[in-house]
Amino acid sequence: MNTFAIASRDELWLRGALTESRLMHGVATQTGDAIEASDACDERLVRACESALDEAQATVAMLRDARVRVVVRATREDDLDSVETTMTIAIDGVSVVTTPSNALADYELLHRSRNGSAPMRGPIVWLNGSAAVLLHEAFGHASEHDVAPVAWPPWLSIDAPLTPRRETFRDVPLLRMSHLIARQNDAPFALPDEYVEVQLVAGGAYDPITDIVTVDVAVSSAGPFTIRRSRAEIAASLAGASGEPIRYPGVICSREGQELYVASHAPVMITDGLL
Amino acid sequence: MTEVYRKWGRVVRYENGMMISVSETGEAFEKDGVFRARPLVEEPAQTGVSVPHQDPEIAAFVKKTQANVAQTLLSVRSGRIERFIASAGTATHETNGITWTEESRRVHISLVNPPLRALIDLASFDVEIVQTVAHALARADEERDAPKRIRLAPNVSAALLPSLIGELAMEQTGGGFDGRGQPIETRAVTHDTPPNWYRPGYAVKPVPAWLNIRALPFGRIDPDAPLGIALLEAVHGTTLRVLCIDGDDVFPTTVDASHIVAVSPNTPLLYPYAAGSFGTEMML
Repeated sequence: MNTFAIASRDELWLRGALTESRLMHGVATQTGDAIEASDACDERLVRACESALDEAQATVAMLRDARVRVVVRATREDDLDSVETTMTIAIDGVSVVTTPSNALADYELLHRSRNGSAPMRGPIVWLNGSAAVLLHEAFGHASEHDVAPVAWPPWLSIDAPLTPRRETFRDVPLLRMSHLIARQNDAPFALPDEYVEVQLVAGGAYDPITDIVTVDVAVSSAGPFTIRRSRAEIAASLAGASGEPIRYPGVICSREGQELYVASHAPVMITDGLL
Repeated sequence: MTEVYRKWGRVVRYENGMMISVSETGEAFEKDGVFRARPLVEEPAQTGVSVPHQDPEIAAFVKKTQANVAQTLLSVRSGRIERFIASAGTATHETNGITWTEESRRVHISLVNPPLRALIDLASFDVEIVQTVAHALARADEERDAPKRIRLAPNVSAALLPSLIGELAMEQTGGGFDGRGQPIETRAVTHDTPPNWYRPGYAVKPVPAWLNIRALPFGRIDPDAPLGIALLEAVHGTTLRVLCIDGDDVFPTTVDASHIVAVSPNTPLLYPYAAGSFGTEMML
């Protein structure tokens, strides 16, 4: 028998004003392939949520020109407690997903990032850890669906463990990525004269039936664009990487309608042949 | 402060091999411009929700569907049920001085015959349509250009209808109450702001929406026209990618459904698209 308890607080702030506020709590008990769930309240988890929310609100107050959604989830699964706070910050339709400790730096990144008008050709240089989103779709989701492997470059290692996760007490736990960290070891890194720099990604998808990966780039030196390629093409396009993994501000991963935060890190990476 | 909305609900859901039963209560209101939602702390005795017979009903539907559909798809390489969610729920709502109870059934099935994926969303436990789509999917051939005339099955036309609001003669079907406890009246559906409110869950801020829309019948359906039997992708505007049956041929095709030439007078069925959409056969 497995027991999962959760409390969550969720607030939406528009330009410094609170517009929506929610409390949710519940407990789910699984026996075999049956789950009995109710909105039972675990006061300790609720208190943990309120405390984390108070801390996050201090940061929200500084983001006065943004749309900010703060979600605090306090969970207990088989006596293991955890508290997770995520902040989705959006300005002019472009967003990052961050934590209170990184919120101000990511908010500044959001302000700094501007679409350019460079020609849409040449290799892509994935900055700010944004290659993690490409790998989240092409490697992480493919692993969740247990599809046939493709050939990744020998200099690349990807840590993307799968664990049973669920968004709320109403949901069925699924094998999902807890995080994704891509590392390079002695990778080539040769920048051509002409390339496109990706700064922020709007979203992505992986379709296990067609094996197609889709990544929507929100901010780049060539403006927003969409990549739609097979997983094998994505793997074959990886042409180089440099440095240590960089935390990418934001992957809220949606699968089967359940939205979960996945911490994502990747070094600066180069792909060739995707444009 | 706005009227407090309260909900007591229970739902039983089969989801890809798991059976989950959820009981919860909640309330929502707006105060000082802030929408607030939270579980109900005290539950009045008279509004407790009991849901008899749902577990066996869902189990029977799941078993019958799997037996019929899985066997059909097993006849093709890699054919299978990719996703299978079926639920039955009962909810009691209280707001604006009235209390009402609703029952709902929802089914979402995706069937795959790679590279095709057929999507089926229902508001009833209808094994027959699932079986029909599975049979067609198992025989699907290569992509073809859209036929000049094509009929859309009710489960397909219902998904399209919300994209045609203000473009096709349709009405909101009267009956029941909306998310703010106002009666839902039969009205012509227009581009204007709808008079009713849609509240899909207690923690979701209600929005104006046309509820339970239906196309008004006109024209004549050609019964020999090819039939779009299932969606192969979610609807994008008025573009539909459908699985089409034309005589003995079955193929995927993409159609522009912006121009409807006929709507069947047959009794429409409710489907869970947007804030409720009644599907009946239509012809492009």
